[in-house]
Amino acid sequence: MTQTALLLGWGTLVGTDLISFPQAMVARPLVAGAVAGMIVGDLAAGAMIGVLLELFALDVLPFGGARYPDYGLGAVAGVAAAAGAPGVLGVGVATVVGLATAYVGEWSIHLLRRWNAWDVRRRAVALERGSGHEIAVAHLTGWLRDVLRAIVLTAIGLLLAAAARRWAPVSLRGAVLLTAAMTGVALATAAVGATRLTEQPRGWAWFAVGLGIGVAWVAL
Amino acid sequence: MINATWRLFCIQASWNYESMLGLGVGYASEPLLRSLPGGVDGERYRAAVARSASYFNAHPYFAGLAVGAICRAEHDGEPGDKIARLRTALAGPLGSVGDRLIWAGTLPTASAAGLLLTAVGPRAAGPIALLVIHNAAHLVVRLWGLPAGWRLGTRLARALAVPPLVVALRLAGPVAALLLGVALPIAAAWLVRDLDLAGRVAAGAMFVVAAVIGRWLTPQLRGARLGLLAAAAVLIGVSL
Repeated sequence: MTQTALLLGWGTLVGTDLISFPQAMVARPLVAGAVAGMIVGDLAAGAMIGVLLELFALDVLPFGGARYPDYGLGAVAGVAAAAGAPGVLGVGVATVVGLATAYVGEWSIHLLRRWNAWDVRRRAVALERGSGHEIAVAHLTGWLRDVLRAIVLTAIGLLLAAAARRWAPVSLRGAVLLTAAMTGVALATAAVGATRLTEQPRGWAWFAVGLGIGVAWVAL
Repeated sequence: MINATWRLFCIQASWNYESMLGLGVGYASEPLLRSLPGGVDGERYRAAVARSASYFNAHPYFAGLAVGAICRAEHDGEPGDKIARLRTALAGPLGSVGDRLIWAGTLPTASAAGLLLTAVGPRAAGPIALLVIHNAAHLVVRLWGLPAGWRLGTRLARALAVPPLVVALRLAGPVAALLLGVALPIAAAWLVRDLDLAGRVAAGAMFVVAAVIGRWLTPQLRGARLGLLAAAAVLIGVSL
């Protein structure tokens, strides 16, 4: 019970960091997953799910009004699903839980932005009159809506994690295959994201040099 | 100034598809506008506050420059239409610089360093490195932006030409690319270390299929969507 409450609290912080405050990147899956791992007493699972979802998150460029999955909350839910599972068996299922939560998170961000727009329209007359109080109320109400979004999404993620731990329809061989598949897709997503990031002049050259160093490191 | 700086950290809380960052800019600007002649009941305050909360969009970390410059222009008594033009003129450059420096520079750099250290160092080192590297840049930009904008006012373009920022913009992309290149193979080796040969072959095959789909076939179908689709395919495949 305490663990669930702590995960819910951590998920709320992670969710609001992504959008409202303070955007210090505790919402990055690597960070969110590691802390969730500490909460559930399985730092190894936290690191594994954190790395996998961080690879997915490398594909996100949040320019302008771009829509993107909430991978930080996905990591919290994923770690809750993976905690205590032996070796690679829980990783695949937990990554799916994380991706599903992140995908619902993308929709929740879209709805939040529309809700904020509706509220701004509703207060348009007071805002155009130049009421400092009305601006503060409208802005802080947006923050509260984001907190609510983060709480609800964390709860959904934790419910998905509990359901997956109890009823995951996967055999042992299926669990390993799922882990392999999620690893392949995560690495491909990061690689595709990296190629988009490195489209600036000479970016490819630096990326190729880095790949050479990385491959040499692994080979040695 | 302290109140406005604090408010900059939550500038995106009311982000929406219509006024975008506008309301947040208004919220951060309001403390700096209270000292306009006439005070909070004065006409200049009300007109300035109304202008400050209108449509605006830029990178959230760099919005402090705009807040400082716009508030300074209000205090200097610039005409309303000139301030509106200043807002419009600032949005593009501050968005572009922030996107290049932060979203395509320090963030992927911090992420790559985090992945690398998680794979080769103590597990907690990766997340700590990510937070330290990213927030070093984040805090410098946030804390520098508002005073710089306030000091320069309508001459804000000079702030974007300061040598440290120019150098950072030049280095951000290559450093991110280099570190991502180093991190990806090492993270890959770390992730597959517990998989048997069949598992590694499956991961490799999935990598190729997902990369081809995500890069060339249907770029919209990548990331979480592609991952969920792949999981559905595996679950259906193993149940048959």
